[in-house]
Amino acid sequence: MMMLKNLPFVNSINTHMDYKGQKLAEQIFQSIIVASAVAGFIYGFIVEQFGWTVYIVLAGFALSCLLTLPPWPVFRRHPLKWQPSVEAPAETREKQPESVKKSKKHK
Amino acid sequence: MNTVLSRANSLFAFSLSVMAFLTFGCFITTAFKDRSVPVNIHISRVMLKNVDDFTGPRERSDLGFVTFDITADLNPIFDWNVKQLFLYLSAEYATKNNALNQVVLWDKIILRGENTNLSLKDMKSKYFFFDDGSGLRGNKNITLTLSWNVVPNAGILPLVTGSGHISVPFPDSYEMSKNY
Repeated sequence: MMMLKNLPFVNSINTHMDYKGQKLAEQIFQSIIVASAVAGFIYGFIVEQFGWTVYIVLAGFALSCLLTLPPWPVFRRHPLKWQPSVEAPAETREKQPESVKKSKKHK
Repeated sequence: MNTVLSRANSLFAFSLSVMAFLTFGCFITTAFKDRSVPVNIHISRVMLKNVDDFTGPRERSDLGFVTFDITADLNPIFDWNVKQLFLYLSAEYATKNNALNQVVLWDKIILRGENTNLSLKDMKSKYFFFDDGSGLRGNKNITLTLSWNVVPNAGILPLVTGSGHISVPFPDSYEMSKNY
């Protein structure tokens, strides 16, 4: 994995989702897998083959991989609105002497 | 959930948990089932010899030969939690030395999908029916039972005895001919 991350091309792929998108993705894959599990259990019980249950759950797994792993546009509809950046360097300069005083008091 | 890898991780973990739950469900739906079926055993011929037992105490021991028929319908045992049955025919008898002797005479594996209707005629035992002394001669009560191990997909490995057994008396004298 480290090897992959070191490649600049791989690193440049943007896979993030926004918070609402993450919630939606989680709800989608949980409901798909639970639904396929229920269907597979009933079908496997009827045909008396537990293998079919496993295959149906695996199909649900593959489907939810397809739907929720790539960052589809649906999961990026609510981007975070950041505050505009504020000019700050002047304040930090003023605060510096204070911190020096405090450290002296402790001694 | 912010990257592909973290999503793949949670998706995989969730699927595995669901699968484990389903496997437990498969076990619990079959855990309390009665896996005993009626078995019909018939013994057509019994022969008794007294030969050197080179595997045991190196003395002459009783060796029994039993020819048997078995009919049983094993289909009700199979369900979605059974992979195979291991059938074995065992002889049980009491001697002076031991209150209970058990000897496995024959066995068979029935896989899922194979013919479950067991109908065997004039079968000879697969393994030697040796007593550890002369306990077979004149023994009036030698009982043959068919039992099986149920090999499941998930859960316990039950040992079931079929209902229906047969008891035969063994002869009072040894067969003297040399051919087995």
